[in-house]
Amino acid sequence: MRTALPRRALLATALAVPAIRPSFAQAQTFKVGTILSVTGPAAFLGEDMRVGVELAVEEINAAGGIGGRRIEWFFYDGESQTQRALNATRRLLSQDRVDVLVGGGSMSGIALAMAPMAEQARVPFISTEGAMSIVTPVAERRFVFKSTVDDDQVLERLADWCHANSRTRVAMLADSSGFGQSAVEQMRLVAARRNLQVAYESFNPADTDLTAQLTRIRGGDSQVVLCWTTAPVGVVFLRQARQLGLGDRQLVHSYGFVAQRFMELAGEAAQGLLLLSVKFPIGDQLPETDPTRNAILGLTERFTAKYRRAPNQFVGQTYDAMMLASIGLQRGGADRNAVRDAIEGIRGHRGVSGVFSFSAERHSGLSKDDVVMLDWRAGRFNLVT
Amino acid sequence: MPPMDAAALLQVLFGGLGTGAIYGLVGLGFSLIYRATGAVNFAQGEWVMLAGMATAAGHMAGFATGLAGAASLLLVVAVGVASYLLAVQRLRDASPLLITMVSIGIAIFTKGAIMVTLGKNPTGYPGPLGDAVLRIAGAAIPAQSLIVLAACAGFIFALQVFFARSRTGLALRAAAADRDAAALVGVPVQRMVMLSFGLAAAAGAVAGLVITPLTLIDYNQGTMLGFKGFSAAMLGGMGHPLGAVAGGLLLGTLEGLAGYAISSRFKEAVAFLLLLAVLFLRPSGLFGKRKAERV
Repeated sequence: MRTALPRRALLATALAVPAIRPSFAQAQTFKVGTILSVTGPAAFLGEDMRVGVELAVEEINAAGGIGGRRIEWFFYDGESQTQRALNATRRLLSQDRVDVLVGGGSMSGIALAMAPMAEQARVPFISTEGAMSIVTPVAERRFVFKSTVDDDQVLERLADWCHANSRTRVAMLADSSGFGQSAVEQMRLVAARRNLQVAYESFNPADTDLTAQLTRIRGGDSQVVLCWTTAPVGVVFLRQARQLGLGDRQLVHSYGFVAQRFMELAGEAAQGLLLLSVKFPIGDQLPETDPTRNAILGLTERFTAKYRRAPNQFVGQTYDAMMLASIGLQRGGADRNAVRDAIEGIRGHRGVSGVFSFSAERHSGLSKDDVVMLDWRAGRFNLVT
Repeated sequence: MPPMDAAALLQVLFGGLGTGAIYGLVGLGFSLIYRATGAVNFAQGEWVMLAGMATAAGHMAGFATGLAGAASLLLVVAVGVASYLLAVQRLRDASPLLITMVSIGIAIFTKGAIMVTLGKNPTGYPGPLGDAVLRIAGAAIPAQSLIVLAACAGFIFALQVFFARSRTGLALRAAAADRDAAALVGVPVQRMVMLSFGLAAAAGAVAGLVITPLTLIDYNQGTMLGFKGFSAAMLGGMGHPLGAVAGGLLLGTLEGLAGYAISSRFKEAVAFLLLLAVLFLRPSGLFGKRKAERV
């Protein structure tokens, strides 16, 4: 018997294995395809998001898979470039022949471009990106779902706060990405519905200076300044807003900016800021009766044990997406139409980002009840009630 | 149209000048290497980013920020010189086009290497004056913006003195003006090109050091900074260091004013339209001399 294979033979075997595997393993596994951007401008989100799917896949497989069938996970880097991500999507759909797609490239723009492809291939796609237009109109997005909260629900939550605090004039400073501009569209609708007067400003996510925009806002009479971005320039927004004397207005960041390291980088400038967020960052501050509390605490504990750092909501939103996919696969089996129907039929699933209920009219599972207001004090996020 | 009061205009003007000084410093690096080789160095923006990332890493590791900054400056200069020695000097037929292509390779390599070693998260460190703000005639000027302007002015001044007064500076100008003639009278042309890479890297590093406390930095930001610096150098006249700085200040100010007076959506479009207009009227840039070429 040979004790050691020559290196070249080993390499050949290693290369050959993935090619052979599908032919005999097809019946025993579910194939899940994921595209997230772990390089390029969205990389700082993509890494956490990738780990969220990874952890969910590991947990499902460790528990014996879905109905006895293990998950075979295909991951590709979207590189924060729509074209690259679409090539990878094509590969997942036609070559790897995945049963379900989880994760849409870490950027709304990418997920928006992936949605019609999934639709055409009739493969259920659970997006982990923000923009609402990823799943609307539902008639054109029958196979597309989303594990993040909708912009209109978040903005409704903000409108509630404005009315409770007698503020009606808002300046919205949104970046020019799909994430920012999709929110602007929704704001126009929500503002009309809820009697808010909104002035709009825009900036490029790669900008380093917001003096011009903030000076315009200072010249206006807004009471609330809402910034909508996931880019680091959101820290510049906080600093320059204080420097230019906008500190007397209520500064608000969207759920895209709820990240501890941004708050730490902003330092003093983050004092008094409010953030619209899912409940994930403050799971331990929720009342015992809250339906998401235990899910959040459980994931936090398992994640911290494995990765030696605290998870954030970006981990949570991809973890949720994978769990939703697994429910769909469990109920729908190998039939993609049945999987789609099963996901659409999910009601009251207690995820870590909130309680998911889908329907034939709504392919976003979360609602306004899953959105809370946070502030940043004493080096942590705190629930504002 | 927003109100055009003096305080707001001054505010926007200062913001634009601060941004423009950075564009200028980056553009300066483009000009230095263009003068020495005729090539456009696309790695320039990555050197800016490297300086900021390395200093932030030093700061996080507990070193004094000044010390980390000085070490990063040396590191970036070393990277600039090494890029020349390892990639550019080895080219058999070092045509400007080829050097430009190689610089794209150096840029991609630098970016990837930093992503892997220093990570993908945005990072930063406080400037020497912290978050101090100066109030001038109703406008609020962050102290760090003044440091940026001072660094830009200091660098260009030192460079002009070096070119005008020192033997090496004279030799560098000679090598840039006419390689063959300079070589004939004994100027070590290769070493002068290497020096240009070192100086360009230093300009990039200084830009990175002073801008990071204001804007934060991540591994991906070099590309955009490089693009803006390149525009500044084109506007001022490629190969003209002082022109690059003037071009940068002009570009930054125009962006700011366009963003304020017209709309923040068209901030960059307006600035680049003006850049195009200038280049149509004066193809060699604001400071560039018209060159007659025999066809």
